[in-house]
Amino acid sequence: MLDFTILTNNWDMYVEGFKNTLLTSLLALIGSFLFGTLLAVFRIAPIKSLNWIGTIYVEFFRNIPLLIIAFTLYAGFPTLGIELDGFQAGTIALIIYTSAFISEAVRAGILSVHKGQTEAARSSGLTYIETMRYVVLPQAIKIVIPPLGNQFINLVKNSSILSVIAAGELMYQADLISARTYVVFDVYIIVALFYLVITLPLSYGVNYLEKRLAKSN
Amino acid sequence: MIEFKHANKYFGDFQVLKDINLTINKGEVVVIIGPSGSGKSTLLRCINRLETISEGSLTVNGIEVNNKNTDVNKLRREIGMVFQHFYLYPHKTVLDNITLAPIKALGKSKEEAQKIAHAYLKKVGIPDKANSFPSQISGGQQQRVAIARGLAMHPEVMLFDEPTSALDPEMIGEVLDVMKSLAKEGMTMVVVTHEMGFAREVADRIIFIDKGQILEDADPAEFYKAPKEERAKLFLSRILNH
Repeated sequence: MLDFTILTNNWDMYVEGFKNTLLTSLLALIGSFLFGTLLAVFRIAPIKSLNWIGTIYVEFFRNIPLLIIAFTLYAGFPTLGIELDGFQAGTIALIIYTSAFISEAVRAGILSVHKGQTEAARSSGLTYIETMRYVVLPQAIKIVIPPLGNQFINLVKNSSILSVIAAGELMYQADLISARTYVVFDVYIIVALFYLVITLPLSYGVNYLEKRLAKSN
Repeated sequence: MIEFKHANKYFGDFQVLKDINLTINKGEVVVIIGPSGSGKSTLLRCINRLETISEGSLTVNGIEVNNKNTDVNKLRREIGMVFQHFYLYPHKTVLDNITLAPIKALGKSKEEAQKIAHAYLKKVGIPDKANSFPSQISGGQQQRVAIARGLAMHPEVMLFDEPTSALDPEMIGEVLDVMKSLAKEGMTMVVVTHEMGFAREVADRIIFIDKGQILEDADPAEFYKAPKEERAKLFLSRILNH
């Protein structure tokens, strides 16, 4: 049976970790959504140099470990005179990393909107950017919600990696508690429950949206 | 107001348009007919630069369509386009479909754009559908909204790319009626269509195009009575006698 005194004795640390995980996830979610969408537009824009920037970014950051990005920001940037604490470095790393995946999902969504929509909008005199903003992206977003949801769940789980740069989030707190109490199982099972508190509602939310959108189509 | 001079267009090695010379004057209704794959839609789509010609020149209102210095967005505001598959924006109401471009491209206020939109919805005969979504109205109604959407920009010319080909037979009439009334009001129109009745009744000129070439450019009455080209005769006999 789980020893819940671990939870009650270390309540403040768990809550601190939970708050930080929630905050870094939320910031990274918003940041990577905006940045990832911008990258997606870069990749399909009718301008070659932007396509290249988008492609290089996505292929680079999608294919290296998040941990390397986090370490580079946390340990490498101070040598350039830019000091970031664990939380800041971790959140930025999460945004950089997740944006690459979000970009691919959004790009697929944009490409699935019928070409005629773009033609109708452009032939009415709207610019490329206006066409994207008012016609294509609002339609793409519906298609993109399920894969985005999965990326956001991954993002929350990936934030645990930030414990190694002392970001103060759940996994970091769990490591501290475990080191202090010499308890392993109970500490980490409890921390897993905290993650579920965030990811399960996300997961159900995505399923719900998916069903609703399927109906509206 | 629209002038093609020795215009050629290639898709890779394939030549879609061959030495097109065509002048369309203000107020004219020109119907383009021809077999599928003949290049008639491509010809139409060149006019608002959805396609670009490879050689030769094309001007609209004296402006070189393919010149790099031409502001294509400004040019397109003057050219309304209606597509075979309507392409209404499914996430917007009928009213918002019509007001989007006037608000964003012409900088009109929302109130003004809505006033114009309501007027054109009335004109195309569906004033009560302003708040419907495209999926809630019939194909014929959708196409009429698409026409209203084009008209709301007060264009100099309207292009129609097989506007009735995707419609149930019962709904073709209501769309053609709107187009006829437009023609009577003096709108410059270029129409790619297979609707021979419409062509005969409304067109000032019929352009017959085959394999990328204009084979006939004739008065409708003459064209139907006695097409000069063999290919046009064959085409007519096939579509009129089925």
